[in-house]
Order: sequence, then structure tokens, then C-alpha cells
Amino acid sequence: MGDMQIRPLTLNFGPQHPAAHGVLRLVLEMDGEVIERADPHIGLLHRGTEKLIENKTYLQALPYFDRLDYVSPMNQEHAWALAIEKALHIEVPERGQYIRVLYCEIGRVLNHLLNLTTFAIDVGAITPLLWGFEERETLMEFYERASGARLHAAYFRPGGVHQDLPDGLVEDILAWADKFPDFIADLETLLTENRIFKQRTVDIGVLDTEEALGLGMTGVVLRATGLPWDLRKSQPYDVYEKMDFDVPVGKTGDCYARYLVRIEEMRQSLRIIRQAIEEMPDGPVLAQNHKITPPRRAEMKQSMEALIQHFKLYTEGFHVPAGDSYTAVEAPKGEFGVYLVADGTNKPWRCRLRGPGYYFMAAVDYMSRGHMLADSVAIIGSLDIVFGEIDR
Amino acid sequence: MGVSDTRNEAALNAAPLPPGADQDMILRAVSDEITNRGFVIASADKLFNWARTGSLWPMTFGLACCAVEMIHSAASRYDMDRYGMLFRPSPRQSDVMIVAGTLTNKMAPALRRVYDQMPEPRWVLSMGSCANGGGYYHYSYAVVRGCDRIVPVDVYVPGCPPTAEALIYGLLQLQKKIRRTATIQR
Amino acid sequence: MDATDSRQMEQSQAGFLKVIEASLSDLVLAADIHNREIVLRAELAKVAEILLALRDGQALECRQLTDVTAVDWPERPARFDLVWQLLSVRYNQRVRLIAEVEEGEIVPSSVPIFASANWAEREIWDMFGIFFSGHPDLRRLLTDYGFEGHPLRKDFPLTGHVEVRYDDTQRRVIYQPVQLVQEYRDFDFLSPWEGMLGEPDSAADQPAEAEDGETANG
Repeated sequence: MGDMQIRPLTLNFGPQHPAAHGVLRLVLEMDGEVIERADPHIGLLHRGTEKLIENKTYLQALPYFDRLDYVSPMNQEHAWALAIEKALHIEVPERGQYIRVLYCEIGRVLNHLLNLTTFAIDVGAITPLLWGFEERETLMEFYERASGARLHAAYFRPGGVHQDLPDGLVEDILAWADKFPDFIADLETLLTENRIFKQRTVDIGVLDTEEALGLGMTGVVLRATGLPWDLRKSQPYDVYEKMDFDVPVGKTGDCYARYLVRIEEMRQSLRIIRQAIEEMPDGPVLAQNHKITPPRRAEMKQSMEALIQHFKLYTEGFHVPAGDSYTAVEAPKGEFGVYLVADGTNKPWRCRLRGPGYYFMAAVDYMSRGHMLADSVAIIGSLDIVFGEIDR
Repeated sequence: MGVSDTRNEAALNAAPLPPGADQDMILRAVSDEITNRGFVIASADKLFNWARTGSLWPMTFGLACCAVEMIHSAASRYDMDRYGMLFRPSPRQSDVMIVAGTLTNKMAPALRRVYDQMPEPRWVLSMGSCANGGGYYHYSYAVVRGCDRIVPVDVYVPGCPPTAEALIYGLLQLQKKIRRTATIQR
Repeated sequence: MDATDSRQMEQSQAGFLKVIEASLSDLVLAADIHNREIVLRAELAKVAEILLALRDGQALECRQLTDVTAVDWPERPARFDLVWQLLSVRYNQRVRLIAEVEEGEIVPSSVPIFASANWAEREIWDMFGIFFSGHPDLRRLLTDYGFEGHPLRKDFPLTGHVEVRYDDTQRRVIYQPVQLVQEYRDFDFLSPWEGMLGEPDSAADQPAEAEDGETANG
């Protein structure tokens, strides 16, 4: 018996698996129940976004960004808008910047709510989802009232945001922000000290800071290892500089630490939301440069020039001077970067989308080695995998 | 529910009766029949259709963005359980497949395999413009231009993504469609 | 200094560039600040050395390779640009390293230096067909199993060459040449209406602008 050749068992996980958070196919080489090697097969949602963006004008490409990480759409749009603004050297009016920050933080709460609750389902708790999705519905209503769409908003535009907020919206957001801490507390009673939840997450998928940096981890996963690295603080964009908030860090770098960091980030987001609403000035929300931004509808009824500008903007679009730039924002998952190469025409020459989840997924092999099969589900859940941005 | 043939055919085919005097009358007729005779007579295909429409179990099969709205339709606010629709993680236990999101060339064989694993009778609901015809990604080298090239589709729900309400409306339309089909060929 | 030390030190971009120039002057071809970003250009053969120096160098410590990507310039003799984005968490600076690659040229993999290059290089191989030597597992990553061609090359058509369909007689998903009901509509905007060339501030000075105005009035 001793010299019998034992071949590892190959286990195919997905692509249709409820715990795979989308269309992940994971080929696992198992030794009994222990994972020896994990080979994620991605690309099952590869839609060729980068190629499509090269064939669209800058404005037409913007909605693709919603559809990358479809759990927090506006944060991606933000990166694209900032990249274009950087290349064109346009300033965003103050009110526009505040609205963007407000909606980025709403997006962050949306994202963390979905991640924490589906993560809880993956490790066996179903109630958080039913509670959390009611809050998500409320937040998506705020999306809808500002932009007209529940999910794919196309609200952030180069030069600001598409439209001003309707009357009464900020009051409703404030009213929600007053109630939301109670919800976080409720959520924590379900999970934070839950014995099963802790057994499934503590000391699972541990990374230290050096490993995390080397593997390209950003965002929550990096902060859970103890490094207070947040682009909103370290490389602030829009009015994040004026916002007073803390960057929560974890101590252990395991799945449980990532959960705790996300919970605390929701509280910090609430602080930013309150500040953004309180400090929001009046004024325009979109830069008044009609080569980049559309004229108002009323103006178009009166002015021939405005009509022509509108037509030119939505057919030809604007030309971006040749050059390359890398713009990164702190999306809820981590650093979302856009490497934009312009050639002076109305279409991008190359647009590389650097999604945080892509590098998380690449590290699944490293993180799940030596763990049990069921732990790989906890690892994937805690990494916040969304396939839209991984496969692009 | 098709009790005997005492009720108007058209009314039975149209939609489930809302709570009220009409519904009470049918229910009373059924319970009277059971207490008086110990059994109830119904036409088999209507009974089958009633059972099918009342427990449409969709499969948990999210592909892309639409999956988020699909989860929302099942979660607390829209609560698909009201219609007897429970998400099943296995194709072997489900009746309806919701193609929620962009179907890519790489995913197409897997989707077809999952569809083939579903037991008859089965239905497919195509959710969102990507699944309907490629949508925003129609011209991409990697995307199937409509999931009806891979599986036969019963109901198309438009939108990018369709709201959770739209999805539920689509599922109710599917119920209507099932109710119209005669299960037993004569 | 301990690498896991989380203290962040402020360093101006110009100062950081000076440090780079001081320690890498004989390796890089050019180093400058463009659009508030540090851009280095180098020959391909020196890239591994530069990456190592940027990672471990005193007062550099670019511990994270944020991204690796490529850009296709089909009319250039060296067809591709390979682009590495590095981040120094300690000094809060980003560095971009660009090297030109000819078609068919083999690039030494940077996976031994940065683990995060693994999938990025697989994707470049998949999307552009640039081969990396010394990569642990260079397979296609995103495209379909059995996919042919490299989609992000400019000569690859947007709609690709094949599409899939379920064949009822063969009872499987088959590949067939692309047939579009309507072609992708691509308009040429580089017409006499060149009203929107250049940057918005300088656009008003261009003669093309006046022409546009005349057309608008007429």
C-alpha cells in the first residue's frame, strides 16, 4: 500500500455555482479535503469592454464603467470622469464635486451591504441578506431620484454630474443616515460575535502587508492587514480632502478582519455623507464648457449655437489631446484605475481598466492553498469578487 | 384552479381570481364537494398548470449586472416567494432559468449544459438587453448576440438592467403563458 | 527599514524623480513628469533591473506593481508599448515605466520580482500576443477556450471572427463565422467640421474654429 501512487482529486467548482459570486470556474486540486492548488478560470464574463471603448467616443464609453463593477456603479464612472478631466484640464464646479463624493459614499455603502450579506450567506447566515437588501433598496431609490436609474446611472460626466439633485432628496438621505447606524448595529448583532461566523472566518485566508502589496491587493484587503492606505486620504480627488473621516484598519488580515473593516467603513461613509450634505454649496453642477458638457435644454430652444454644440457633442464628442495618464480612485473594493492613452481624436486609443477584483482573484490560489474546500468559499466571499470588473 | 367545469372557461384561463366574492364562491364549492363526496373533480391539464404556475422555481444563475436586480427581486422588498418562486441552486430542481446578464461565447456551452440538465417542462426567461440581443455589447468579439441562439426563450424582459419589478412582471407573464398551454395533447 | 512599517513619508514628486534619476540614471532612457505623473522610458533589456531597483532602492520602495498593460501602435516599427504602473506606498508616489517591444520579441517575465504581474502578463499574452519568458503559467486568461487571435491588437476586428450558436442536429454549441444583421456604424468625424480639436482653452484660437462658426451661421 505504501508505494501506491495517489493522484490528487481535481474538483471543478462552477461556473454555475451559487457561492461563486457570478461566473467563476475554479479548478481545485484536492488532497482529501485540503486544497493543494486552485486554478481560477476567469473570462466567462469577458465582454471585450476595453476593445469596445476604443471604438466609442469618450462620452459613449462612460456607461461601460457602470457595468464593470455593477455593485457600485458610480465609483467607476468617477474614475473615467476624472481621467478625462485630467487630460482636458477642466475644473469641476464645487457643487458637482460634493454631489460626486456624496454618491461615491452611497455607492460604498451599497457595495459593502451586498458584499457583507452575500458573504454571510456563503458561510451559512441568510437573515443579513434579507435585512441588508431592504437598505440597498432605499439607497437605490436615491440613485434613481438623482439619475433616473436604479443601477446603471451614467450620472457622473466629465465636468461634473449630469443633473442637479431634485428637491427634497438631501433631506431624505439625511433622514436615512440618521437611521442607518441602528441597522449596522443590528447587522453586527447577527454576525460579529456569531460563533459559527467566527469559526468560518477567523484565521482563514490570512495575508500580511508585504504579501498583500506584492500580490497587488488594494482597498479593504490591504487595509485589513494593518496598512492605512486609502486613496481618498493619500491621493485625494474632488473634495475628499475637506472631508473628516478615519481609515479603519484590521489587525489580522484574515476574512474576519476584512468583515470588520467593511462594517467600520460603512460608518465612516455615513460621516462623509453627512458632511457632504451639510457643506454642499449652491451653484452649477456641471462645468460650463459646452465643448465638453451639453448646454441646458432651455438654452437649446433659444440658441442656434447651443443646438449645434449639443449635436456635435453627442455625435462627434470631444477630442482629447494626445498623451497618456493613469487615474485611480478608491472604489469600494480597492484601487480602480484607468490608464487612458489618447491620440488626439474623439475616441480613446487604449483604455486599460485596472479593477481591484482582478488582483484579488489572482491571489485566490495563494490564499486558499492548505485550506479546506469550504474555506475557499469564505475566502472568495471576503475578497468581494464581482465578475464585471475582473473579466471586463 | 379548475374545479369541475361549472365556472366560466375564459375566466379560468385569464388569471388567478383575486380575493373576493368570486374566489370565495369557488373555494366554498370545492370544500362543499370535498365534504359531501370526499373527492373533487378537476380537469387534469388545468390542475397541472395550476401546480406549475404556483411553484415556478427559478435557478440561481446570475451572469452579470442583472443578477443584482434578480437578487433584489427575491429579497425583502419584492419577495418572489409570494408567488411560490424559490431560487434553487441546482438545475435538476428548477423549472425556469433566468438568463440574467451578458452571455459570452465562453459561457455559452456551460449555459446550454445547465439548460439540458433541467427537467421538462422548463422555461427560459431572458433578462436584460444583453441576454435579449447583445445590447450594449452587441458588437463585441466575445458576446453571444442574444441568448436565444443557445436556448429557446419564452419571455424577454427589456431593460439595462430591468428593475426588479420588471422581472417580476416578466415572470407573471410567463405564468400566463404556462396557463395558456394545454399540457395534455388531445 | 522594515518593509512592513506602515509609516508613510511625504516626498514631493520632483524630489522623488530626483531620487530615481540619481539611482537609475544609467538604466532609463528618459525620466520626466508629465501631467503630474512620473514617467520613465527604458529599453526592454533593462526593465527587470529597473523594476528591481525601484522595488528595493533606498528612498524608492515601490512595493506594489499596480498594473502591467500594453498599447498597440501598429504603424510604429516597435509595435507595442509595455507599461508598468508602480506605487510606492511609503512615499505616496506612482511611477510609470514604459518600454517598447517589437512584434515577436520575447519579454522576460517580471513575476519573480512582483507576484502581481502573473495574471497581468497572462492577459497581455492573451490580448496582444506578447510572449513572456520565465512566466510560471502562461496560458490564455480571458478569451474563450480555443480562441484564435489577439483581440486588443488594432488589426483584430471588433466583432471578432466567430460567433456561437446551438445546433439542434449536432446537439451542441458550435462556432460559425460572424454574420451581422447590421454592421457596426463607425463615422469618420475628421471632416471639415473640425470644431472640437485640441484643448478647450486653446481651441478658440484655431482657424478651424472660425470655419465652424461660419458654417453654423450659414
